[in-house]
Amino acid sequence: MRRSSTTLAALFSASILALTACGGGGDDTASDGGSDSEGGSDSGLKVGLAYDVGGRGDQSFNDSAAAGLDQAIEEYGIDPQESAAEDGESESAREERLRTFVDAGYDPIIAVGFAYEAAVAKVAEEFPDSHFAIIDSETVEADNVANLVFAEEEGSFLVGAAAALKTETDNVGFVGGVETPLIQKFEAGYIAGAEAVNPDIEVQSTYLTQIPDFSGFADPARGKTAAEGMFDGGADIVYHAAGGSGGGVFEAAAESDNLAIGVDSDQYETADPSVQDVIMTSMLKNIDVAVFEYLTAVNDGEFPSGITRYDLSVDGVGYSTSGGQVDDIADELDEYKQQIIDGEVEVPSAP
Amino acid sequence: MTETSSTAPGDPSTPLAVRLRGIGKRFPGVIANDDVNIDVRRGTIHAVVGENGAGKSTLMKILYGVQPPDSGTIEIGGSQVKLSSPADAIKAGVGMVFQHFMLADNLTVLENVVLGAEKQHGIGRKARAEVRRISDAYGLGVDPDALVEDLGVGARQRVEILKVLFRGARTIILDEPTAVLVPQEVDELFGNLRELKKEGLAVLFISHKLDEVLSVADEITVIRRGTTVRTVVPADVTSRQLAELMVGSELPSPGISEKATSTRVQLAVTGLTLHDAAGRALLDDVTFEIRRGEILGIAGVEGNGQAELVEAVMGMRPGATGSIVLTDQDLAPMSTLRRREAGIGYIPEDRHRHGLLLDSPLWENRVLGHQSRPPSASGRLIKRGAARADTQRIIDAYDVRTPGTDVPARALSGGNQQKLIVGREMSGDPILLIAAHPTRGVDVGAQAAIWNHIREARADGLSVLLISADLDELIGLSDRIEVVLRGRLVGEFDPSDVTPEQLGSAMTGAGSAA
Amino acid sequence: MTRVLRALLGLLAPLLALVAAFVITSLVLISAGDPVGEVWSEILQVPETRNVANIVNQACVLYLSGLAVAVAFRMNLFNIGVDGQYRIAAFVGAVVAGEAWLPGYLNTALAIVCAMAVGALWAGIAGVLRATRGVSEVISTIMLNFISTSVVAYLLREAAVREEGSNTIGTKEIPEGSRIGPIPLAAADSGPTAEIYGFVVLAVLAGVAYWFVMSRTRFGFDLRATGQSTTAAVASGINVRRMTIITMMLSGAVAGLVGLPILFGEAYSYGSTFQSGLGFAGIAIALLGRNNPVGIALAALLFAFLEEQSNPLQILVGVSPEIVAITQGVIVLTVVISYEVVRRFLTRREQSRVAKAERPADPAGPADPAPTQDQEARA
Ligand SMILES: Nc1ncnc2c1ncn2[C@@H]1O[C@H](COP(=O)(O)OP(=O)(O)OP(=O)(O)O)[C@@H](O)[C@H]1O
Ligand SMILES: [Mg+2]
Repeated sequence: MRRSSTTLAALFSASILALTACGGGGDDTASDGGSDSEGGSDSGLKVGLAYDVGGRGDQSFNDSAAAGLDQAIEEYGIDPQESAAEDGESESAREERLRTFVDAGYDPIIAVGFAYEAAVAKVAEEFPDSHFAIIDSETVEADNVANLVFAEEEGSFLVGAAAALKTETDNVGFVGGVETPLIQKFEAGYIAGAEAVNPDIEVQSTYLTQIPDFSGFADPARGKTAAEGMFDGGADIVYHAAGGSGGGVFEAAAESDNLAIGVDSDQYETADPSVQDVIMTSMLKNIDVAVFEYLTAVNDGEFPSGITRYDLSVDGVGYSTSGGQVDDIADELDEYKQQIIDGEVEVPSAP
Repeated sequence: MTETSSTAPGDPSTPLAVRLRGIGKRFPGVIANDDVNIDVRRGTIHAVVGENGAGKSTLMKILYGVQPPDSGTIEIGGSQVKLSSPADAIKAGVGMVFQHFMLADNLTVLENVVLGAEKQHGIGRKARAEVRRISDAYGLGVDPDALVEDLGVGARQRVEILKVLFRGARTIILDEPTAVLVPQEVDELFGNLRELKKEGLAVLFISHKLDEVLSVADEITVIRRGTTVRTVVPADVTSRQLAELMVGSELPSPGISEKATSTRVQLAVTGLTLHDAAGRALLDDVTFEIRRGEILGIAGVEGNGQAELVEAVMGMRPGATGSIVLTDQDLAPMSTLRRREAGIGYIPEDRHRHGLLLDSPLWENRVLGHQSRPPSASGRLIKRGAARADTQRIIDAYDVRTPGTDVPARALSGGNQQKLIVGREMSGDPILLIAAHPTRGVDVGAQAAIWNHIREARADGLSVLLISADLDELIGLSDRIEVVLRGRLVGEFDPSDVTPEQLGSAMTGAGSAA
Repeated sequence: MTRVLRALLGLLAPLLALVAAFVITSLVLISAGDPVGEVWSEILQVPETRNVANIVNQACVLYLSGLAVAVAFRMNLFNIGVDGQYRIAAFVGAVVAGEAWLPGYLNTALAIVCAMAVGALWAGIAGVLRATRGVSEVISTIMLNFISTSVVAYLLREAAVREEGSNTIGTKEIPEGSRIGPIPLAAADSGPTAEIYGFVVLAVLAGVAYWFVMSRTRFGFDLRATGQSTTAAVASGINVRRMTIITMMLSGAVAGLVGLPILFGEAYSYGSTFQSGLGFAGIAIALLGRNNPVGIALAALLFAFLEEQSNPLQILVGVSPEIVAITQGVIVLTVVISYEVVRRFLTRREQSRVAKAERPADPAGPADPAPTQDQEARA
């Protein structure tokens, strides 16, 4: 009795481990492909890229950062190395990842995601001669750290306004992947934008998972269920900030003949053709631009430090127009955009 | 001159079903089998007898492929075989019925029989017909559609036998099949076995009840300390001689039984009632008293409420109503632990389920049920040294055959496990002993010794509630016997002038109480 | 002789498992076309001091998790909920310590007690469900894991302090005087420091307590007896329902400690980047360590070692560090098998030893002459 249950338990945990391992294998090959691609002239620059969970291939912001890196590889022929975080890893694992880059001579090192906030602060202090960039965090202050941050709420404001202008039911939705302060910025901006157009509009809003369960960024089935609920509840446009789960939102929109709004990159370009038509627009968060600009500066021999804010004024965030579905309201949206840039409209960054 | 073949009785030309030569098997610290030689002829009933721990069960498990022998050869039907699993044994035509039945309660007889042997006759009509055919051919009287949980012990055993026959066995091993049966059922079983042998099957069975052995067996092999000492025919020996062969010396003469009953009531049970989930009465207004120094025997066919009675007195049956008073203490509100602490010793009916931690060392088994009392515990701590020492005392006093106090209980033979439990429950001077089948599976010598221990304690004032399927034990040990039938006490007998037959008919409700 | 030898042979089983894991992982690497030699030389190199510190720290956390699982395992209960228990407990501990109602280490002690109490209560729910309703603790603890995720997320939002411009949220920082100071491993003049959690001492104490309670106390006896056979436990007077609830609570209380080394030694607050998934690792570690306090420690160190050493794999060798998840899984699986193999080997050895010892001592053997005479007399 006792032994058999122990054996079962072993099988159980081993299979869990095996599953995790399989997932890991996938990432592995993906990142291999990335790091092998080299081109352009050789600048001799060794760049380390520390991804958040999911790494290259997550169809979300890690990929966005990777795109910026790829562009830099192409143009400057740098020597890149990448490494992704593991789910639920320890603080010391993150620090150690950065230190390994330092030890192996990589400089600069780009940390993708606010999870690296504490690790970058610590390691940057340990190695004052190395240079770091961190995306989505402005709290790390050091001479050798560049903070690349975005005004997600501003971009979200515009797509919120677009949704409010386009809706026929005066009812729109928001699906967040994981309820973090970062994603709440998307939500806050979206709601503000929608209400700026129509103060009586109903905005349904939900998150797929809670910290520390980050599966909400990679669970299309859940995304689909959540969006279906909103369409059933009367919404006709749903905006997602849910990474890989967004695919489910698009499907739900396609099946119910409604519309959806993409996030981070122009998802009209990358989405499956069967759902392309439902993507009304996408909120652009140009991490790739930020990464590329940072590497460009480095390539030119300077290491930026301090906060660089990518907002509407520098087109660090925005909305996409491919597909042409928002062409008719472009004027109104551009007006909002100008008002935000001018400070006439203040966009909240928390709900 | 080999021992076995020289005195082989019966017709030597009868072909052999099983031939074991030089079988040896060792366990850590023990030689369980050593140079065992047995010939079993077709169409005979072959009994194997020997002391507890002599190696009988081990030998049978070897023949059934459960354990591999360290040495020796096995021939079945004239050709040598290597049995590495029960499946091999079944293929070779050997089947075994274990002492602990292995039937699924909530399945029908047919389903139980077919389970795991679907290949033989399918699971449908053909299988049912085959079950009927076997049942009729050997007079087993088994209804394929009966639910196993509704069957009594005897019937379950017949289902086990049918299961074995269904799988095509030509040699059937039964390990202590009669231990759980009342006399009538024993007779029925022997009737079935005779049918089997008439059909040319060979039956190997183990028993500690030598009279039974003499009445049914064609040949008897005696095992002592792991080795076969002789094979005899019943006509040549008396049960006393058999016992002496087993032990290798003269039997100790049974102790004199002194009545010690006082007038003081030690246990008073009044109106004890218990219902099952369906509202059927398992115990129906049971009322009795046991006085100081008295042994009250409860006679009954298994399943008539004995187990429930014992467990209700032990406080293991929530929902029992009625009063139970031990000396002056009302037991009803007490937990099992408190009842034990109040001075109740408990020898459970099923030693594996209720009596032992099979994978724990003997000394931890000594602690079991005595976690709160010296010598095994003081305060909240377990005293390992004292527990070991006291285990050694039990081992010596009750002749438990074991290499030490640190071996797991599983390594002991059935009878020796039983002796350990009896020794444990008798320690700490209980004032009431609840003994369910206290000598089940114990050899004659050890049985006499246990009886003596109980009698001695009785002389010092121990009261005993004795449940036993062995009517000789009931009559021999009890001061008074109550018969239980369908949860009610239906009659009282004086052991000094009751015969097993009278008791037997009262138990089945056929006779009226004296 | 056997005691020492047995202990040595006891090490044989895990060793066999390690070898098997090494071989299988290598095969996986080879079939994936990865550089086997480089991977192993990276993993098996002598860790630097700062890595040693990381290993010990991580092992400390894993050890507590393994202990928590083992407490329940000993009673045949499968507490899959250690994960949820430690997260909710660490959260509450962080809130209490952050509020600092008491000064200095009193505050620390209060927070630890609160964390353990919360872990115990959370696990106790599963215990009560099991004892009163017969709900499998496997299922209820899995559900409770989900629930604790939501509860902590909700409460974190309520209790969180958020620095302007930061995307992380967390509880109030624990005041300096209530933190558990690190033990320096080596004097670090420059670069990264190598310090181990002061909490390691408490983890060791927890291990000693576990050993003592399990093997020396009546409570431990009752717990193990119930784990082996409920029916025998009932007959011996153990209140199995009560034991079920208490054992789950005890397991949960230990689980409540899991997050605390991190909380008091490094993070000083509970926030969105607090390490998760430690409870599941505990299951594998308890299995590998065979519920033995020293075994669990070795298993925790091994797992922590593999994780730490594999971290740079992707950067230096281009192989995902998750390869060690395979190694760990194989170790857990094969250790079960190799324990059985070694046990059989031991039995066989013992048998031949017994045989050798008993033969010459008793030349007549068990077949003494008595029956032969008897037989001749009869014949
Ligand atoms: N699995 C085991 N491990 C160690 N020793 C064992 C094991 N099984 C049996 N033994 C030992 O082998 C010897 C023979 O045991 P066996 O069960 O065959 O006796 P038996 O003749 O059936 O006795 P009983 O009449 O009490 O049932 C005993 O000394 C017992 O302790
Ligand atoms: Mg036996």
